Amino acid sequence: MKKTFWYPIVFMALLTAIFTFVLAYMDYATADRVAANEEYELQTKILYVFDIPYEDDSVEGVDQLFNEKISLEDDVYIYQEGDSTEGYAFPVAGSGLWGSIVGYVGISEDYNTILGLTFTQQSETPGLGGRIEEEEFLSQFRGLDIADASEEEYVVYSPAPGGNVDAIAGATLTSKSVANFMNDDIHSFLQERRGE
Amino acid sequence: MAKQKSREIFSMGIWLDNPILRQLIGICSALAVTNLMVNSLVMGIGLTFVTAFSSLTISAIRHFTPKHIRMMVQVLIIAAYVIMVDIFLKAYMPEMSKALGPYIGLIITNCIIMGRAEAYAQKNPPLPAFYDGVANGIGYTGVLLFIAFFRELLGFGSLFGIQIFGDWWTAWTIMIMPPSAFFLLAIAIWIAYNLREKYQSEGAKS
Repeated sequence: MKKTFWYPIVFMALLTAIFTFVLAYMDYATADRVAANEEYELQTKILYVFDIPYEDDSVEGVDQLFNEKISLEDDVYIYQEGDSTEGYAFPVAGSGLWGSIVGYVGISEDYNTILGLTFTQQSETPGLGGRIEEEEFLSQFRGLDIADASEEEYVVYSPAPGGNVDAIAGATLTSKSVANFMNDDIHSFLQERRGE
Repeated sequence: MAKQKSREIFSMGIWLDNPILRQLIGICSALAVTNLMVNSLVMGIGLTFVTAFSSLTISAIRHFTPKHIRMMVQVLIIAAYVIMVDIFLKAYMPEMSKALGPYIGLIITNCIIMGRAEAYAQKNPPLPAFYDGVANGIGYTGVLLFIAFFRELLGFGSLFGIQIFGDWWTAWTIMIMPPSAFFLLAIAIWIAYNLREKYQSEGAKS
């Protein structure tokens, strides 16, 4: 075993360079594919928020439908059917039990109805808080009337007075957090829009 | 001779010296990802890949590695392979990458890899070291699948996402939560211990 001062330094530097090179190459080679995967996932979720049905769920099919009906302005997605605007989807975010939750809320063009809700990022307990991603929970937000909602109380869990959505049993903290940040973000979105 | 040795390595890694049941290392991830069979399987395959190839690499360069910086070298090699697994999952299995999330990155901290690198790869030729990594990975995967089998079946009523029990089944919420993994892991270690005792005392008699 060599015992010089420089040998370990050169050895480590060389080894690091080799592995960095290999990893950089792998990252470069797969970058397009990873980006395409993420893009596809986001597109299907935005289509879901607006409740736009699609039969062709291939990458190209979804991309074509998406570009035909949806445009992006700042970070708000605008859904247009022909010339008439049907609705907007804007990001909502807050902290859940384990990590941050990010999603999109679709709202009708007259701001009276929630069209749909989806989550793009969440790390809640699988089977409990994680069920916020399941259809059973999300479908409750389809066509939710918020025209008569009192200030900042758009989403209220039953059986509280004015309740319009069921929380998830066993996931009280996640459910509460979702309602809180949704109410906050919907409120600020509406204020901004009505202020314009 | 060589064949006999590789058989010995596999029986040590998978059963006699099973990383989780016997060496009690790598338990952290065994508790974390075992509420679904699919997650456990992919985690197991990922770990097997990383352990096998990092052992191979560490063993291959063991004569050139200065002793006092070997830990640094090991961590570097392990980290590189973990990132490869992460990139692969992100590109080709995006759903799985989402489900496992931070746990893939945490393979780096799995004691099994460092443990095998220090205990075996550092002192043995590349090929046996590679086998040793595979064997320990399989041993780890086996225990994970055993625990996940009960957790998913009782917690969701399904196996590999396929519904086994009908609507009449009331899911055991505790099976999905981390505490159940503690019970099941302890039971698994207990069973394995008793089986081994029995096997060894019989071996002594004959």
